[in-house]
Amino acid sequence: MYQYTEFDRQFVHQRAAQYRDQLERNLAGTLGDDEFRPLRLQNGWYVQRHAPMLRIAVPYGEISSKQLRALARIAREYDRGYAHFTTRQNCQFNWIPLDRSADVMDLLASVDMHGIQTSGNCIRNITSDGHAGIAPDEAVDPRPYAELLRQWSTLHPEFAFLPRKFKIAITGAAEDRAAIAWHDIGLQLKKNAAGEVGFKVLVGGGMGRTPIVGTEIREFLPWQQILVFIEAVVRVYNRYGRRDNMYKARIKILVKAEGQKFIDAVNAEFANILEHDVDGAAHLLPQAEFDRVAKSFALPAGVAERAAGGAPDFDAPIAFARWLERNVHAHKLAGYRAVTLSLKRAGQAPGDATADQLDAAAAIAERFSHGELRVTHDQNLLLPWVHQSDLQALWKAARDASFATPNIGLLTDMIACPGGDFCALANARSIPIAEEITQRFAEIDELYDIGDIDLHISGCINSCGHHHSGHIGILGVDKDGKEWYQVSLGGSDGSTISGNAVPGKVIGPSFAADEVADVIEALIDTYRDQRDPSELFIDTVRRIGLDPFKASANSVRRSTALAQTS
Amino acid sequence: MKFIDSNLDPWQAAGSDDAPGAPVQPAANLLLDLAQWRSLRADWPADLPVGLKLANDADVEEIAADLSRFAVVALHFPKWVDGRAYSQAHLLRARYRFAGQVRATGDVVVDMLPLLQRSGFDAVVLRGDQSVDIAKRTLGFFPAYYQGDVLVTRPHFGRVAA
Repeated sequence: MYQYTEFDRQFVHQRAAQYRDQLERNLAGTLGDDEFRPLRLQNGWYVQRHAPMLRIAVPYGEISSKQLRALARIAREYDRGYAHFTTRQNCQFNWIPLDRSADVMDLLASVDMHGIQTSGNCIRNITSDGHAGIAPDEAVDPRPYAELLRQWSTLHPEFAFLPRKFKIAITGAAEDRAAIAWHDIGLQLKKNAAGEVGFKVLVGGGMGRTPIVGTEIREFLPWQQILVFIEAVVRVYNRYGRRDNMYKARIKILVKAEGQKFIDAVNAEFANILEHDVDGAAHLLPQAEFDRVAKSFALPAGVAERAAGGAPDFDAPIAFARWLERNVHAHKLAGYRAVTLSLKRAGQAPGDATADQLDAAAAIAERFSHGELRVTHDQNLLLPWVHQSDLQALWKAARDASFATPNIGLLTDMIACPGGDFCALANARSIPIAEEITQRFAEIDELYDIGDIDLHISGCINSCGHHHSGHIGILGVDKDGKEWYQVSLGGSDGSTISGNAVPGKVIGPSFAADEVADVIEALIDTYRDQRDPSELFIDTVRRIGLDPFKASANSVRRSTALAQTS
Repeated sequence: MKFIDSNLDPWQAAGSDDAPGAPVQPAANLLLDLAQWRSLRADWPADLPVGLKLANDADVEEIAADLSRFAVVALHFPKWVDGRAYSQAHLLRARYRFAGQVRATGDVVVDMLPLLQRSGFDAVVLRGDQSVDIAKRTLGFFPAYYQGDVLVTRPHFGRVAA
C-alpha cells in the first residue's frame, strides 16, 4: 500500500493544526457556527443527531493494521466503542464531542490518516475496486493513479467550493466493483492495442433525487493527461453548474441539460489549459512521478507466486466449505486468495465493527495478510494477501472474531446507510429494517438457495445506501412524520451479474415499517416460484417484469391497507 | 496579500446606488461594472486608471481583449461558499496573464485567504466583521501544496523532480 513521504506526513499534521485553530476560534466565539460549518465539513465533521459525526478517509479503501488499531482506539477513547464503514470506503464515528475533535485529528495524523474532503462541496475521497492490485481480471492496477488523483485533489484551491459534492471512482478490472457509472467521474483503466495505458472517462453519474448513469466523454484518455482532463471537467462544472437549487447542483444535471455542449466545453477547456495556461502542461504526469508512486504498490515483502499448498482437511466442516465458496476470492498471484471479513451479521448494523473487532481484524491481517486490509464498497473488510495454505486457520480466526458469516454477495450482505438512528438527514431508519431482514433470512441454506442478490437500503433520497442500484432497493421516506419505505426492483451497480448500471423501478406506494420484511420475503418467494433453473433474482425480474412482484408485495400490506381504507 | 481598508482605498465604484444606470463620467480610479465599461470603453482616456467589477457568473473570456486596460479587476463573492470567482481569478492570471490587481469583494471571510492567494487574488476587502490579524494567520499553516497554483505554477512532483 501507499507509503507516506515526509511531505505527506507533514501535510496531514499541518491540516490538523489548521483545523485546531479553526475549532478554537469557533469555541472562543470568534468564528461563527455558520462559517465554521463548511470548514469542519471539509475535515469530515458533520453535526448529526447525537453529536458530530466524523468521516475518516480511507483512500481507495487501503488500510493497515496499525491504522485499524488507531480507529479502534478512537472508538474506545473518544466514541462509544464502535465504527461504521461506508460504501465510499470511509470510516465513520458518531459520538465524538466536538471539543475533542482536534485531538482526534492529531491522533489520525500520527498514523497517516485524516478526514480531508470527506464531506463538503469539494472533490471527495477517491474510491476504487476493493480488489485493486490483486484481481485476476485486472488490466491495470488503479491504485497509483488513485493516489496521484488523491494528491492532486487534496486542498485544490480552485475547487474547494463547487456547486455540490464531487465523487470520483476508479477501476482497472473487467468487473466493475466500484460502481463507476454512478459517480460524478468514473474512470476505467485499460490498455489499447499498442499496450498503452489510458482511461475510459465517464462523467455525470449520480444517485440522489435524480438517478443518472454517467456519460462516456472519452473512450481512451492517455494516462499522462488525467489530472489536466479532470481539471478541465471540474472547472467547467465550477463555472456553470447550478447553484440556485441544491437538488440540481450535481454535475449530472449540467451534463444532462447541456449534453454535447458540455462535452465540447470540457474538450475546449482541456486544450486551453495545455496550450495557453502558465505551466499548463506541468500537470501532465511524467513517467518518473508515476514510478515513484507506483513503487509503494509493489508486492509486500515475502509475497510471491507459490504452489497452492495442501488441500483443506478432508473432514473440514460444511461451514468452512461455504466460507470458501462465498468469502474467498480469486487472486492474480498463484497460491494466494483474497478473503472478505464479513461485517454483515445479526445483532450489528451492516458495516459496523466494535473496537474489539477492529483490533481483531488488525491482528488477523497481521497474521494472514501482511498487515494490510481493504474497506470494500459493499461495507466489508477484505484481506488482500492470504496464502492458500492459511485458509483454514484464517477461517477459524475469522469465525472466532465474528467475521466468518459465509454470506458475501447474498441477501444478508446488504448495503445500508446509518439511517435515522444517527443521520440528521434521514427520513427513516435503516438499521432496524436491515436487522429484521437479517434475522428473517438467518437460515444459511435458504440464503444459498436465493443466491446472488444486491439488497441496498437508504434512509433518505440522498442515497448513501445506494438503493437505486440494488436488485432490491429500499428507500426511507417521511409521510406525516412517520417512517415509510419505497421499494424498487431491477437496479444495477454495473457489475457483471447486474448488467449495465441502471436505477431500479419503484413497485408502488410506500410500505409501512412493519411491512418491509414481509415485502422482501414476498418478493423472494415470487422469485423462487417463478425462476428458471439457476436463474438469479435480477434475471427473473428482467424476464417476467415487475407485475408479479408488485402483486405479491401488495398482498402483504396491512398497515398501508388500513391507512388507505380509513 | 493586500488588505484593503475601504476608507483609504482610492478605488471607488462608479455611479450611485441611488441612481443605477445613470451615465458615468470618466474619472481616475473608478471601478466600473461590465455594462458601464462597455458603454465607455471606446471613449475612456488611455491614461485614466480604471478598474472592472466582474460578477461571478460573467465569462472572463469576454473581457480578455480589454484586460490590459484595467489596473484592477474586482471579483465578487455573493456568499463565501460560492466558489466561482476562484476559477475567474485562475483564468485571469494563468490564461490571460493579467498583471494588475485582482481583488476579492463581498462576503470575504478570513479562512478563504489560502484559497484566494493560491488562485491569483492579491488583494481582499474583508467583510466588516473579519480580523486582518486572523486572516494573516490563516496563510501560515502550509509551506507547500501538492498541486500547482497561480503562485507556484508547478505541482509538488514537478518541483521535487526539477
